[in-house]
Amino acid sequence: MSNAESYRGMNVSEFFAKHKEVAGFANPTRAIYQTIRELVENSLDAIDGSEEGRKTIKPHIKVVVEKVEASGRGNEEKTWCKVTVEDNGIGVPYTVMPNAFAKVLFSSKYVLKQARGMYGIGVKAAVLYAQSTTDSGIDVVSSTALLEDVYSRKLRIDTLNNEPIINAYGSWKKPTAWRGTRVSLVIECDWARARSKVLEYMARTALIAPYVQITFQTPEKELYIFPQKTSTIPPPPKEANPHPHGIDVETLKQMLAATKAKTFREFLERDFQSVGKKSSLYFIRELKKKVKEIKEDTPPAEVYQKFNGLLSTIVDMMKTFKFKPPQSNYLSPLGEELIVTSLKSMYKPEWAAAIRRPPRSYQGHPFIVELGMAYGGEIQPSEEPLLLRFANKIPLLYEVGEDVSYKIMKEIDWRQYKVEFPAPLVILVHVVSTKIPYKGVGKESISEVPEVEQEIRNGMLELGRRLREYISSKEREEEVKTKILAVSKYLPEIARSLVVLSKEPHSWKPPKPGEEKEVLLGLIKLVSSHVKLPEKESSEEVIRKILGVKKSGQG
Amino acid sequence: MDRADAEARRRAALAIRQKLLPLLKEIEKGNPPKLVIPKRTFSNTNFDKEKGFLVMGEETLERHLLDAGEARRFMQTILMASIIYQALVENEYPTIRDLYYRGKHTITYMDLAGKVKEENTWDEQDESDAVLRDIEVMTDLLREEMLILSKEKGKMVGDMRIRSGPDVIDLSKLGHGAYAIESTPDLIEFLDVNAEFVLVVEKDAVFQQLHRIGFWKQYKCLLMTGAGQPDRATRRLVRRLNEELGLPVYVITDSDPYGWNIFSVFKVGSITLSYESERLATPKARFLGVSMTDIFGDKGKKPYLTAEERKNFIIKAKDADVKRAKDLQQYPWFQTKKWQREIELFLEKKAKLEIEALVGKGLKFLAHKYIPEKIQGGDWIE
Repeated sequence: MSNAESYRGMNVSEFFAKHKEVAGFANPTRAIYQTIRELVENSLDAIDGSEEGRKTIKPHIKVVVEKVEASGRGNEEKTWCKVTVEDNGIGVPYTVMPNAFAKVLFSSKYVLKQARGMYGIGVKAAVLYAQSTTDSGIDVVSSTALLEDVYSRKLRIDTLNNEPIINAYGSWKKPTAWRGTRVSLVIECDWARARSKVLEYMARTALIAPYVQITFQTPEKELYIFPQKTSTIPPPPKEANPHPHGIDVETLKQMLAATKAKTFREFLERDFQSVGKKSSLYFIRELKKKVKEIKEDTPPAEVYQKFNGLLSTIVDMMKTFKFKPPQSNYLSPLGEELIVTSLKSMYKPEWAAAIRRPPRSYQGHPFIVELGMAYGGEIQPSEEPLLLRFANKIPLLYEVGEDVSYKIMKEIDWRQYKVEFPAPLVILVHVVSTKIPYKGVGKESISEVPEVEQEIRNGMLELGRRLREYISSKEREEEVKTKILAVSKYLPEIARSLVVLSKEPHSWKPPKPGEEKEVLLGLIKLVSSHVKLPEKESSEEVIRKILGVKKSGQG
Repeated sequence: MDRADAEARRRAALAIRQKLLPLLKEIEKGNPPKLVIPKRTFSNTNFDKEKGFLVMGEETLERHLLDAGEARRFMQTILMASIIYQALVENEYPTIRDLYYRGKHTITYMDLAGKVKEENTWDEQDESDAVLRDIEVMTDLLREEMLILSKEKGKMVGDMRIRSGPDVIDLSKLGHGAYAIESTPDLIEFLDVNAEFVLVVEKDAVFQQLHRIGFWKQYKCLLMTGAGQPDRATRRLVRRLNEELGLPVYVITDSDPYGWNIFSVFKVGSITLSYESERLATPKARFLGVSMTDIFGDKGKKPYLTAEERKNFIIKAKDADVKRAKDLQQYPWFQTKKWQREIELFLEKKAKLEIEALVGKGLKFLAHKYIPEKIQGGDWIE
């Protein structure tokens, strides 16, 4: 199977069942939002991951939230919701369904990839929440492109052993070439309170994934459709080995245990990025000064067993040794063009621009910052810019005040960029990385890592400069147009008067209506040749519009 | 239509065309059109000592079509010129009110937001009057010369015959009425006159009283009034009588800065409309009274009023009067010994007196003592 990944597990499901807030399930309001978010992000990953199919299938995610009767003892006062999310992405092979949906920290092997979910819990936390509030599991229906059948499973998590429990199996022949995944969960929720946040989340997700059509049906049976805005799809993120700067002792241990390399040097070259034949040699030479026993041909397993106490020394050296910087070509930002398209279609501004900052890294993790800005048009003016934050293509909605982007935005004196608040200004900040520097487990705000902060600030200032340029040129244009208007409106009157004066007294006849046309055209030409607009639009067109005079030959 | 009328029309129409038609050529050539207009500002008004009246200076202003701030006025100027021109060639006699209505219409255009907007070529008559004045100075033609009529309020009686249009009018056979001075005094032809001077009375009521008592017959004068601030036709006619018939002109007004100002308008012209003075001012006009020394007396001059009469007739001057007097004090044409004495006395006594006060002393006193005595005694101020 081309897209199959190898998986490994770890028992912490009980921990998450008891500490729901850690994964964003603190209360029924947050829980419904978080459940939808986890499922939608899984779907987006499934769409991004299905490279060959994306060319022919229009990506689509359907989200339905329904109220269901709370059953069982003493549950009459609580509200239950059924959340169903369906996508036409890559699909989940039936063999991995149990682990993928019902085993906590079931995650891909130790390679790095820019992905929406970071902790490997995501949807499983939602399942645990469903189990603890409504005593129900998760229903999964899925098929991949190559399978001839559709498979369904009813799954639960055995919280004591962190093992999947399969409650029901099913499969049937595909009548069409369907592929994708549909999952549903029943959870306790507070829809009334969550509603606006969920809608905001949907709109922002549609903004950052403009190549996907998203439909959303609320419990009130309202249907929101966020149509696909572009068929251009950014290349999906690729997997990459960790960079030695970004490693920690625990990760190194696991990598040493799992590697297929025969020697320590081979391990360095094979399992890390930015480590070549030379740098591995120099690194080991340098390492020998502190850890004498280590040689180039020491087997990784031996390093793992014999030098257990010295692993932190190795990690320290890896962090400080001068390797080539991390590669960023496996990151997948949205791209300037898509950001502009998205902003334009979502906010109908008069001006929009985007910028992608050059790739950089912090602590061994590569990242790219891209920013968008939209101004005027149908944007509602507000006292501060509307800040749209995204990380690895997911919207960040909470803790805005904590976010580094917000801090930077507040520090900028926008008047220098000709923006006076209240102003119609939207700023989009998107950070992609193999490891987003979140402030907390809530994954809602980005912390003030100097490298990231610098890129965001530079990008915001650059866009600010472009906005100022736009506003200035608009002001200039406005000035010229105002002048054209002030003069042009009188031209017909002047033309008529001049025609009266041009008639000789001895052969006097009052002019006929329309007789002034020639003089008027002369005047229009004269004004437009002397009062010029800075760009494109010709002054003559503006005058003709003001006077309602058509070009000759057009009637 | 009489010849004088036709000739005036021909001349005016020609002047207007000559001034404005070159604009068409400029537009054809693609040059931004502009109007050059003599400045009608106070700073461009000078007192010509030799001529004895106010004249316009050399300063001009340019009005550009392509200047957003001037475009409206540019349009109004050309519009006004075309209306006057059309009235001239169509043998009409518009009043300034007519010009206002003929030119006032709504222009419709689309603003930058695509909304249909409306604007009047002009809203108030102030605006059309102002461009009319621009055209007068541009073409060097007074409105009367362009056959534009104004409201008439000047009157005249006396032993004189004139031709006005097709008619001959005998100004001595109008009963208790008087000849209403026409708007186009240049079209009047003087036929014969039996008078030795012109007496202009500020107030219509006093004019009527002097008329009824037969003043003009007895003293051989042409009696006139401008009924307050004189209109242009009255001023023009006074000038013609003085200039063409060589009759001395005496002016009687109230004894206060307002009256002095009326005299000043007759004599040197209006400060804000100095371009008219060339044809409307009568630099040889004399201020006969009522003067401050008539009221209070002076070295070697007995007052016409007793202390008792002064007490009854004098009105206390107001702040505005004092301010006006101080302004007049500075004007070059009031820089004579007699005028300075007049104004000083006023500022000292802060007293005003109306001509009617002299009538209060008796109409006969005014007609048979005060006026003849002052004229014979040369007791006037130039």
